[in-house]
Amino acid sequence: MPQESRKTLLNHWHRSHGANMGIFSGYDMPLWYGMGVKEEHLAVLTRAGLFDTSHMAGLIVSGPDSLVFLNWMFTKDLTRCLGLKTKPLVPGRCAYGAFLDENGHVVDDSIIFQLTDDRYMVYVNAGMGDTIARHLNAHRRDRDVQIKDLTGKIGKIDLQGPLAAKVLKKVIKEPEKVLADMIYFKFKGNFDMDDDSGEPVYFKGGTPVLISRTGYTGEFGFEIFMTPEKMVGIWETILDAGKSFGVIPCGLAARDSLRAGAVLPLSHQDIGAWPYINNPWRFSLPFDDEQKHFTKKFLGDSALLNLKDPEYTYPFVGFDLRKISGGGKALVFIEGKEMPVGTVLTCVTDMGIGRHEGRIYSVAGPELPENFKPGGLSCGFIKVNKKLTTGQILELKDRRQIKVEVVEDIRPNRTAHKPMKQML
Amino acid sequence: MKEIHELIIPEDLLFAEDHEWARQENDKVRVGISDYAQDQLGDIVYVEFPEPGQIFSKNEPFGSIESVKAVSELYMPIGGEILEINKALDDYPDLINKSPNDQGWLILVKPTDKSEIKSLMKKNAYMEMLKGLEV
Repeated sequence: MPQESRKTLLNHWHRSHGANMGIFSGYDMPLWYGMGVKEEHLAVLTRAGLFDTSHMAGLIVSGPDSLVFLNWMFTKDLTRCLGLKTKPLVPGRCAYGAFLDENGHVVDDSIIFQLTDDRYMVYVNAGMGDTIARHLNAHRRDRDVQIKDLTGKIGKIDLQGPLAAKVLKKVIKEPEKVLADMIYFKFKGNFDMDDDSGEPVYFKGGTPVLISRTGYTGEFGFEIFMTPEKMVGIWETILDAGKSFGVIPCGLAARDSLRAGAVLPLSHQDIGAWPYINNPWRFSLPFDDEQKHFTKKFLGDSALLNLKDPEYTYPFVGFDLRKISGGGKALVFIEGKEMPVGTVLTCVTDMGIGRHEGRIYSVAGPELPENFKPGGLSCGFIKVNKKLTTGQILELKDRRQIKVEVVEDIRPNRTAHKPMKQML
Repeated sequence: MKEIHELIIPEDLLFAEDHEWARQENDKVRVGISDYAQDQLGDIVYVEFPEPGQIFSKNEPFGSIESVKAVSELYMPIGGEILEINKALDDYPDLINKSPNDQGWLILVKPTDKSEIKSLMKKNAYMEMLKGLEV
């Protein structure tokens, strides 16, 4: 392991529990534990899994001009992102979007949590706290905002899967009251710092946490934030309470295959130093009802609307579980044509899905055809230089070749949006 | 991740630097991947085999092995003709994870030059090499 790799506070736990470790964004992280990636992926689809995500970075943006400033810097329109895209973000709610530069290229993607009227938590990817702090500072001009990088000062654990609320019910105080109205992209509580806003949420041992109905798997679940020194305790408490539900610790490999199957991008791989448009994440751009104009001005907006040679990003699904390389190394061909039309951004295997008579099914159901067991399908994202239609068959080639289909969505029957009352 | 002392490395196997093993069985050689290799790769989901009858030289790729993490080439630890492939892996590729040294074997080879096997590492040398990989 290189000397400079950073560790989360759970590093010792991972290593002493048989994790296969690897370096991700400079952090020494678990890729999978003893049961293997497949079992971890399936656990999140059918039960729940626990992820150490404290390598991610958080910033606090506060001050009277916070909303105006963040709305200039962020793709999502924070003044109209709730309800039918008509209501502003409010304390206790969060929103997904991206920070772009002047060219409309992605600096990083993020979830912004509104803590109070003029205080926001900006959560970004591993190692990006400093980059985003500098990016924000470079564009703040005379706006009255404070920007604080909290890298390493927040612990974060994700509990993801359909049984997540049942597990959480056993370990937090007043679970019914806390969980009953936790709709998708709502959060509650805080983890001290200098913030006493909102309704506090406590673990039974008294540890204050912020719990958010978000995640990166496409499945029902929570992100749980706490002060770093409480993280190992919270991790073990959840695993202990989850044992009877089949909850297992999960590594970054399962996180990668789960998120790809849920059509979620990996920053700097599926979105990056190219224009953030013509991709499956259009919902995070502030398009108006006619889908032609933006509802606000923001950094990078005019570059996005005036592209000379637009590129297009699409999700794809294969016909069996064989993969090829991601990261731009494999080429994309229209079936039978000789000139490549683009490259493969991500290609992983979602072990929870399979094809039967032209339709994709998930192990999570609801109704699987008789005698059919999903055996896994390759899936991911391609970036191409021409518009493609859903159903288009492509050949992806590196040193081998696989056939895939352009799709709108990948893993069916995901649970992320399910009403809370069905999950308690 | 298995510690080196936890790896199962039988005395009767010989190892290539790419972590394939070879086991002499009379005038044939059985080939698989080591416990270390399967542990590093994680869940094996697919094996791409050569056709029986094909002839490869030493160190030439003869197929690939696909884990949930990545696709890796398989290299001949010894040159020769493919006599048999392990068909059980078509349905149960995870046999490689469960039993890398026995049930998870890959191919049976008729060596072109029997003396080539002498260039492979014995258990101790292979373990020394693995220790060098751990930093």
